[in-house]
Amino acid sequence: MSEHHITPLKTYLIIAASLLFLSGVTVWVSYIDLGSFNIVLAMFVATVKASLVAFFFMHLLWDDKKNLTMFLMSLMFFGIFVTITMLDTGFRGDLGLNPETKDPINKRAAFYDTLPLTDTHGHPVDEHSDEHHEDKDHH
Amino acid sequence: MSENTKQNYLNHPKGIMSWLLTLDHKRIGLMYLFSGILFFFLGGLLALVMRFELAAPGNDIISNEVYNNAYTLHGAIMIFLFIIPAIPGALGNILLPLMVGAKDVAFPRLNLASFYIYSFGALFAMYTIINGGVDTGWTFYTPYSTQSTSNVVPMTLGIFIIGFSSILTGLNFIATVHKMRIPGLTWYKLPLFVWALYGTSLVQITATPVLAITMVLLMLERFLGIGIFDPALGGDPVLYQHFFWFYSHPAVYIMILPAFGIISEIIPVHSRKKIWGYKFIAYSTLSIAFIGFLVWGHHMFTSGQSVFSQIVFSFITYFVGIPTGVKIFSWILTMYKGQVSFTPPMFYALAFLFLFTIGGLTGIFLGAVALDIHLHDTYFVVAHFHYVMQGGTIVAFLGGLHHWWPKSFGVMYNQTIANIAALGVFIGFNGTFFPQFLLGLRGMPRRYATYDEQFVELHSYSTFWSGILGISIFIAVMNLFWSFIKKNKVDPGSNPWGGMTLEWTHTSSPPHPHNFEEEPVLQHGPYDYDKVIVEKTYKK
Ligand code: HEM
Ligand SMILES: [Cu+2]
Repeated sequence: MSEHHITPLKTYLIIAASLLFLSGVTVWVSYIDLGSFNIVLAMFVATVKASLVAFFFMHLLWDDKKNLTMFLMSLMFFGIFVTITMLDTGFRGDLGLNPETKDPINKRAAFYDTLPLTDTHGHPVDEHSDEHHEDKDHH
Repeated sequence: MSENTKQNYLNHPKGIMSWLLTLDHKRIGLMYLFSGILFFFLGGLLALVMRFELAAPGNDIISNEVYNNAYTLHGAIMIFLFIIPAIPGALGNILLPLMVGAKDVAFPRLNLASFYIYSFGALFAMYTIINGGVDTGWTFYTPYSTQSTSNVVPMTLGIFIIGFSSILTGLNFIATVHKMRIPGLTWYKLPLFVWALYGTSLVQITATPVLAITMVLLMLERFLGIGIFDPALGGDPVLYQHFFWFYSHPAVYIMILPAFGIISEIIPVHSRKKIWGYKFIAYSTLSIAFIGFLVWGHHMFTSGQSVFSQIVFSFITYFVGIPTGVKIFSWILTMYKGQVSFTPPMFYALAFLFLFTIGGLTGIFLGAVALDIHLHDTYFVVAHFHYVMQGGTIVAFLGGLHHWWPKSFGVMYNQTIANIAALGVFIGFNGTFFPQFLLGLRGMPRRYATYDEQFVELHSYSTFWSGILGISIFIAVMNLFWSFIKKNKVDPGSNPWGGMTLEWTHTSSPPHPHNFEEEPVLQHGPYDYDKVIVEKTYKK
């Protein structure tokens, strides 16, 4: 089982091309407004890229399967952490039943009063906050 | 050095450098053991200071500020410097290679490095004390921990560093279990202590990095003002608790799984009976390790997390009870119709069964969200976690020390004194912590130096018995050390309890520097008391 796997050059080139292509995808989707799903998509593409590097460039695919198990386990634990934490942050405030506490805490934080509200492309959406503009540097 | 038979890991090679630079897992284990015991006494001293302050309602001995420092340091020292490193680092290091028939762990140099990383981290913690302490509690909750002017940074840095030692030890043990077993020692023939260390190591390498990340994020916020946890900077304070408990709930299994392993060794040996439900115990270890990753939110029921996650966390928490119950019942059934002898290790194991069961069951109470809203941050929680950590882990650790003491040092302690001390620990422990359940139910909050007049009776009981507990532990440990002076030698081939695992049957006491004179050949399983008769070779 310890004999060395020789990867043909062609495979390397295909993987390199896919990595470049996926970088393009990352840039491209950032121009589409998907709300909070943007971050999920970006992380997903990044994970695919990292996995390609680990599988092919770092030979994880042909290595002892225990190492692969370790790699997949770490992805799983990361998934558990993020998913379950989002059961909290995504549903903060009594399942949305109480309008007073409906918004996640950080949407109502003092910090947001001092910044102009913008959409995901940085265009201001709220006109009255301009006068606080410089405050954000003074912490 | 003179005759080959007298050579053992304690006397060969000689000289201080041969200890400080040793790659021998047994010597490294001893260094962990003695530093662990040192921190145990330091933490215990802080506990007694707090208990005496609480003997009466007012600020009688120390101020509120000093009290805040005392409980923070007590918690941080006990957890990060003693309980988490001590059992895997000390007993695990000494025994794991012996139990799998190996000459050493898989990476001996890494093992020594782990010890020095641990010591280096401990220096930061000690600096914290000299420099005036830290007052946030061992959990370092934001927003207070980003504002407190006490030594949050050195302490968290120390914990960050110690975390790496934990990860490396875990890695080492996993590699050892996979790669270093002698031929024929299949997974189901491994002693259960090895399974327990394996499960612990898995948790260590998967959870500890999250602690490191948490501590780094905390420092980034303090130093660079990056908004992660502070709402004023756009962060989320509850997120800190998610990070912290994603590590720290699994960490409670880093503390208790090795204890389970010790109990799984002590009970069959001292009952001279095959362990009941070997595979159940082995797999419950792994399932506890896994479920332990899904329940962290039960520490956050009053933090303002969403109701949806309260329900999910509360529900999953109950599942932890299943594999834990499986273990308890297996141990009890192991004793059934066995020849139980009341040796000091067995006394500790029995104490463990009582105390851990109380601790575990009250954990299930606290896992019920409706109840926890009332009990959170009261003495009920304090009593719960002392029942599991001290009544469980530390009692098992003491039991393990008494069990393997003649193996590690070739000397036997006074068993009568050891039994009396064990009884003192059991009674003193219950006297100290049972009243705290009642205090908590009546509303006494944790982490206060002063309290309302109505609590004085229960608090003074607790303080009185904590004195007895402290004295008993002191006697137990001193009795062990006394055996170095008294030199009540057991003969080198001896197997005082009639153990069946390789460390008892195939090597001398204390073991040879390379563990075994020749590679051991496995003749029977670890608990085959139904098939083979093993003589107990030590009579009082
Ligand atoms: C049998 C399974 C267990 C369950 C269901 C359980 C459940 C809980 C719950 C719900 C809490 C939170 C209480 C609160 O803060 O309101 C808690 C606290 C705690 N538990 Fe357990 N527990 C269990 C076993 C253990 C074990 C084995 C240990 C350690 C060896 C442990 C150590 C702790 C600690 C240290 C705390 C308090 C942390 C703090 O706020 O400072 N628990 N437990
Ligand atoms: Cu927990």
